[in-house]
Amino acid sequence: MSEDTILQVKNLRTTFHTSRGDVQAVRGVSFHVNKGEIVGLVGESGSGKSVTCMSMLRLVPDTAEVDKDSSVLFEGSDLTRIRGRQMRDIRGEKIAMIFQDPMSSLNPLIPVGKQVSEMIAIHHPEKSKEERKQETLSLFEAVRIPEPEKRYSSYPHEFSGGMRQRIMIAMALANHPDLLIADEPTTALDVTIQDQILKQLRGLRRDYQTSIIFITHDLGVVAELCDRVEVLYGGLIMEEARIDDLFDSPRHPYTLGLLSSIPSVTQDRTRRLKPIPGSPPDMTNPPRGCPFAPRCPYARRICAVALPEFTTIGAEHRSRCWLLDPEAPASNNPFRPESEGQTQEM
Amino acid sequence: MEQKWEMLSSSNEDREKIWSRSRTFAGDVWFRFRHKPTALAGLVLIAVLMAFAFFGPLFTKYDYAEQNLTVVNIPPRMTVYDAPDGNGYLTITQNLKLLRVDQDGRLGEQLSRVRDDDARSMTIFDCGGTEVGLYYGKTPYKVCNPDKLTVYHHRTIWNRSYLLGTDALGRDILTRLMYGTRVSLMVAFVAAFVNMIVGIVYGGISGYVGGMTDQIMMRIVDVISTIPLTLYVILIMVIMGSGLQSIIVALGSVYWVDMARVVRGQVLSLKNQEFVVAARTIGSSTRTILFQHLIPNAMGSILVTVTMLIPSAIFMEAFLGFLGIGLQPPLASLGTMCNDATENLRTSPYQLFIPALVIVLIMFGFNFVGDGLRDALDPKLKK
Amino acid sequence: MDSSTRIQHLLEVSNLTKYFDAGRGRKVHAVEHVSFAVDEGMTFGLVGESGCGKSSCARTIIRIYEPTEGTILFEGKDVSHLSQRILQPLRRDMQMIFQDPYASLNARMTVRDIIAEPLLAHHVVKKREEANEIVFRMLERVGLTREHANRYAHEFSGGQRQRVGIARALVLQPKLVICDEPISALDVSIQAQVVNLLREYQDESGIAYLFIAHDLSMVRYVSDAVGVMYLGELVETAETDELYRNPLHPYTRGLLNSIPVANPKLARQRNQSGIEGDIPSPIDPPAGCRFHTRCPYAKPICAEETPLLKNQGNGHLCACHLYD
Repeated sequence: MSEDTILQVKNLRTTFHTSRGDVQAVRGVSFHVNKGEIVGLVGESGSGKSVTCMSMLRLVPDTAEVDKDSSVLFEGSDLTRIRGRQMRDIRGEKIAMIFQDPMSSLNPLIPVGKQVSEMIAIHHPEKSKEERKQETLSLFEAVRIPEPEKRYSSYPHEFSGGMRQRIMIAMALANHPDLLIADEPTTALDVTIQDQILKQLRGLRRDYQTSIIFITHDLGVVAELCDRVEVLYGGLIMEEARIDDLFDSPRHPYTLGLLSSIPSVTQDRTRRLKPIPGSPPDMTNPPRGCPFAPRCPYARRICAVALPEFTTIGAEHRSRCWLLDPEAPASNNPFRPESEGQTQEM
Repeated sequence: MEQKWEMLSSSNEDREKIWSRSRTFAGDVWFRFRHKPTALAGLVLIAVLMAFAFFGPLFTKYDYAEQNLTVVNIPPRMTVYDAPDGNGYLTITQNLKLLRVDQDGRLGEQLSRVRDDDARSMTIFDCGGTEVGLYYGKTPYKVCNPDKLTVYHHRTIWNRSYLLGTDALGRDILTRLMYGTRVSLMVAFVAAFVNMIVGIVYGGISGYVGGMTDQIMMRIVDVISTIPLTLYVILIMVIMGSGLQSIIVALGSVYWVDMARVVRGQVLSLKNQEFVVAARTIGSSTRTILFQHLIPNAMGSILVTVTMLIPSAIFMEAFLGFLGIGLQPPLASLGTMCNDATENLRTSPYQLFIPALVIVLIMFGFNFVGDGLRDALDPKLKK
Repeated sequence: MDSSTRIQHLLEVSNLTKYFDAGRGRKVHAVEHVSFAVDEGMTFGLVGESGCGKSSCARTIIRIYEPTEGTILFEGKDVSHLSQRILQPLRRDMQMIFQDPYASLNARMTVRDIIAEPLLAHHVVKKREEANEIVFRMLERVGLTREHANRYAHEFSGGQRQRVGIARALVLQPKLVICDEPISALDVSIQAQVVNLLREYQDESGIAYLFIAHDLSMVRYVSDAVGVMYLGELVETAETDELYRNPLHPYTRGLLNSIPVANPKLARQRNQSGIEGDIPSPIDPPAGCRFHTRCPYAKPICAEETPLLKNQGNGHLCACHLYD
């Protein structure tokens, strides 16, 4: 754990006990976040990206069980071990969260200004009401809510989806957290508003050196925002890379698939998009080998029976794929560029 | 070794496979339901009571209307005196007679009276040749030797002939309880069923058609619900006369308002959901939309309302019985049994206690099931 | 029946207007004076932010809502004021795919029954069992398998559900399918699946789509022509390539600039800005050009006069005072 690391997740495992059997949502996820860094957790729904973050803050429902060997080190304490009171102190003050649906996180009966100011009061009871109001107003200004004075006493339903998400961000920032976890904050919003929110988050990192974990299914958004990316699939990290490395030289077929399914407004439109065929695996019965094997166009026999370990490709770049094994043949292997001629044969 | 690098061929089936066991919505609900102990306990309780009510009479040798005036008000646990002839015990009946009771607690014949001995406040009976005296000068009455004036050795034993005792007309309470529970459950089920049908139709039309129709239909419901339901039921009973049918008609014609409101609310919220809109764009008929889309999806709330309605119907029936405008004798219901018991409340409290206990058990059962069902249908409610 | 000089479109919407009652005498200007046409085998994309009226427009065309004004011609026949009873047989040729793959399928029905419902409604088959073969074929057509037929919708992933919704819309082999944001609720990787599926089916059958989306990125891959809506009005329409090559309306440009660039190097260099602020309330839309409150190029005239949709060449229509 280097000096700069503020969060270190090790071997996180979460299982949900449901009526349909045990859902192994997260199956041993390890990653870290440095100070002032924006890390993207990317994956399709059901890949375990949200559950990873919920488990870190122990916000998972009672039906979920976080494995005992998991550890989540945040500023020296293990979040999986600490007691309720300490956890509450960390949530909201040191680590804040914003969600996909801001309406469900806001109390519809309380004016938004009061909700933000109470957020401050929870962790800083010594501040006076007037102080808190001033702080709230400057937060509203920071997230660019027009006419903050007037909006202070408005109720959540009077705001549009984008404005509500800004209020959520203001609330998350109320106590200047060291880490902000953003769980698909823009998925439900229009692109125009998404663009505005992404700008906001970039500004946040620039101005306060806040670390951000950004959860999304859209690699396009990741490219705009993140420094480093963890690609999740079937409850596992498939590839980890700095953003440029991921887009320049992806080293996992799943990442390749995600990249080629992104639409572009500049490419030739008669070219068909290349979607990843099939559907994400059913995590009540995850595939024995690599979870992506059934959908992978390059899958070998071994992929179906054994889970590959990480192969280190470069600095902060590692990937879980059998094709990176030194023994792997070069034919039909996207990661051996010299074999391109042979790819056609298949 | 080399084989492991051969290409893996995955079919579309592999890619789209769903592993989890297929379970219907009802299956899901049942899973959550049976993982809730109170709900399951309620269900077992209801099953036991129903078995008791419907199969119990097969195992009893009495009839609910059969009177036996020699054995009135015999409690389930009675005080018996050693018979002087050594032939079992004797017990005192409420009309100051002596009954033989055998070793196990079965009731036998009545002793014949020899004479009254007013001077000593005693009635003398003939017990297999010996005279025994029943002293009635002071309560508790005692059986004694008329010559020596010594009280025979006495003890309390369980009544084996009438397990739960007899009532003021000498009828077996256990048998009456079975029939009473049966009548109460039947009244409740029929009333609930009628309410469900009326409620679904009324609420369904009101919610689905909407607009002015909905307004008028709901105002009618409002008017009905401003009259206290109890009063309304009593009025119907008075007009129609007592009897099983009138109870069912009375309960059926009143309690549907809640059901109608529930159904209407459900239909209103469901009919704008996308799958209903989809059915309309497909060109499905109104009947299909109502019976395949709206009602099945509203069924959960309807069932919860029904299970909550059954205990209140049972309670209302018992209440009417208690007031004396319910069933006519000799028919028994839990309410009329309670009513009958009030006359002998001081001497035979068990007669009130037993049917009241059954009412309580039924209420518990249905409320537990209703609660469990509601939680099972809406898992979000809990967290 | 029509004069031969006029080309008959499969769907022709002219001057379509839909107001909703918002109470207290106010009304929501959901759709105002929208006109466009969809030809056989073609796809018309309708794009705009949420609240711009694109879904209301779709639902008015398929007559879930009654139009306040304007006409809807389907195969030359005016369907805008037909009663639901007369409309019923026509629905066979005009189907719809919905946005929310969770809410648009009845949770109490198996996939088999869901896909068979249109067949039964239009008496293509008499009994449910007769539909089996058609249902199986349709399931395979959308990339699912026979085994899925007996499962319930809630057991599927989002993308699989949406394919069930598509199977339901296509099973009657309609001439037009209105796709009301069919991909907005899906993961990007799954969106491409759905888009490709719709395109493949179009190539095979010559079906026409009215494809509604809230951003311009995916629309490009399905549409032959695109219309951009803002606050109930159509502000720009053009052939797809023309629109993306040469967007005229400041709103269209803003929408294009808002799309995240899936290339970190370009994304860092990029300094074009999207659109500031929020879409105003459709209950009390701004006077003049409705976009003037957020438009970086707004002139005084924009607040006063409503610009008309004018041809700017190449069949490219744009409603903006900048091009007067």
